[in-house]
Amino acid sequence: MTKVWLPCGHYHENYAKDQGWWQTPVIKGKMILLLFIVFVVFPLTLSGYWLSVANMIGYTALGALGVQLLIGYAGLITLGHAAFIAVGAYTSTLLILKFPWPEFIVTLGLAYPISILVAAIVAGLWSVLFGLPCVRVKGFYLILTTMAAQFITVDFILTQYVSKIGGRGQAFSLPPGTIKIGPWVIDTDLRVYFLMITLLVLTVMLMANLLRTRVGRAWVAIRDNDIAAETLGISIVRYKLLNFFVAGFIGGIAGACWVANLAALSPEHFPWFWSLWLVGVILIGGAGIDGAIFGSIFMVMVMELLQMAAIPLSEYWPRILIFFAFIKDMAFGLAICAFLIYEPRGISYRWWQIKNYFNLWPFSY
Amino acid sequence: MELFLMTLTTGIMVGGIYALVALGWVLIYKCSGVLNLAMGELTLFGAYTTLSFYMLGIPFILSILCTLIIGIILGILVERIFLDRLIGEPILAVIMVTVGLSFFFKGLIEFIWGTDTRVFTPAIFSLKPFTIGFLKISTVYFWSFVLAIVLFLIFVAFFKYTRWGLSMQATADDETAALSLGVSARFVYAASWAIAFMAAGVGGALLGNINGVNISVGYLGLLVLPAVVLGGLNSVPGAVVGGITIGVLQNFAGTYLDAFFPGGVKEIFPFAFMAIFLLFMPYGLWGWIKIERM
Repeated sequence: MTKVWLPCGHYHENYAKDQGWWQTPVIKGKMILLLFIVFVVFPLTLSGYWLSVANMIGYTALGALGVQLLIGYAGLITLGHAAFIAVGAYTSTLLILKFPWPEFIVTLGLAYPISILVAAIVAGLWSVLFGLPCVRVKGFYLILTTMAAQFITVDFILTQYVSKIGGRGQAFSLPPGTIKIGPWVIDTDLRVYFLMITLLVLTVMLMANLLRTRVGRAWVAIRDNDIAAETLGISIVRYKLLNFFVAGFIGGIAGACWVANLAALSPEHFPWFWSLWLVGVILIGGAGIDGAIFGSIFMVMVMELLQMAAIPLSEYWPRILIFFAFIKDMAFGLAICAFLIYEPRGISYRWWQIKNYFNLWPFSY
Repeated sequence: MELFLMTLTTGIMVGGIYALVALGWVLIYKCSGVLNLAMGELTLFGAYTTLSFYMLGIPFILSILCTLIIGIILGILVERIFLDRLIGEPILAVIMVTVGLSFFFKGLIEFIWGTDTRVFTPAIFSLKPFTIGFLKISTVYFWSFVLAIVLFLIFVAFFKYTRWGLSMQATADDETAALSLGVSARFVYAASWAIAFMAAGVGGALLGNINGVNISVGYLGLLVLPAVVLGGLNSVPGAVVGGITIGVLQNFAGTYLDAFFPGGVKEIFPFAFMAIFLLFMPYGLWGWIKIERM
């Protein structure tokens, strides 16, 4: 279902064209329009509240892309991705706050960009460490080891040890002005938005390019039938671990980028709930990179709309605001169940159908 | 030495409760192939239901019976509404439906009962420990263990000697053959969920007696996962051994490792143990080894 039917009169004449991103002028125009909207129109028009919602969507999408890479492209089911996001966030914060940076790097504002890169690599390696059991096990057992990764990393190492560095108790506070890229201090929602959207676009480009190389095809082969893939000469262990690395890398980027949005960092930002939430996002979104993005838009928007509905209702029943977190849990649980039962292929499948309908119009196939 | 024996007995007693919950998990897996991640919330649900009945003035044993009945109803409802439609779907879909259910139940429980810790008042078991030889055993642990073992034996006897239990065993063994002999698979699925709800509910009620009832009882219910991995996913004796071993290991970690790794080593140790164990024996002690072919 990754292939979209081309409109009448468009043919691929060579392999490069077949693998191209923007296959027709219409698609090219559409994507450029999308980038224009995302980079110019949204920052100009959206108010602070909606920008923060957009940041939330971006963060969810970055996390969900990593999960999509593991579950959707290599069939490695993970329920512990928040651990890797947390490792990214903590590495970045520790580097900014504690590392003795040379003077010129701080004045040039390079500390945070470098820390994002380092955080991504550290999170990737951490992810490989907990991906090691995938050499021997898969399916349900792999779920259990990734769950163990979550509990060991977040509930034990980060809560009990890393948080105590500096002796300030549970949270690292990030004083305003510490997070700086070049001359810009990332302090407003608008600046966080630009950081977020840039990283998101870069990550999507990285993933889309990776998926059409030998590596991406090897992952898909392993997902579809790992024993057959092995007989074709694909080293399963190497590619699975590579998949864990890239997924952790993306998770690290997500974590490091989310730090810019926080005043203080504590392990409570990365509960097991968040890992499950990310898996729920890609289940609702469906297959592919667009699935992860649609899923995050859908989930974050639904939760925001629920919240907006709750505020007027609170006039009649004030306690609803206290109960809102619980209602959110219930809504999320029911949404996952309903999507899996009634729409197992997710939102991106519907989007694919709509695209095909317009490409093939006025014919039905 | 005394500390060692005390830790061991406490571990075995708590492990008995884990074994009871693990039995429910294994039953679901054996009969319907569903890997259930909602076990923690089921335990929590049982704990709160029993607590509510007890607070109404109903004696403890009767409240547990009421919890069992509510467990049956809920188990059948959940199976009929959600799991029944997913027979034959890929493993991720089924697992994630149980995750969705766990969210739903967690939200529901917090919605109904709030997030504060609640204690069984008046206390059911006396606070005075009683002594066997030189061993001091807390009364709560002892009676919880006894009750867990009794219920466990009842479940196993049901499984082994009654007509319904035998039909469940047949389905677990070979679904097609059981269907051809007139066993209703849908009945068996519903029954396995009902039993799992009952086992988890009673387990939760007993665990709630130890430290009071709050969300962390649900976390204790999750410990069933290391237990079943240790014993093998589809082995009932494995569930017992796994549950008790996890209880013992957890208490030993709390007693001896806490000096080296201060903090929550007791909570985390079963999961760390599980991750390492999976590297060496992925199918557990008595699980069936799956041989894969192309």
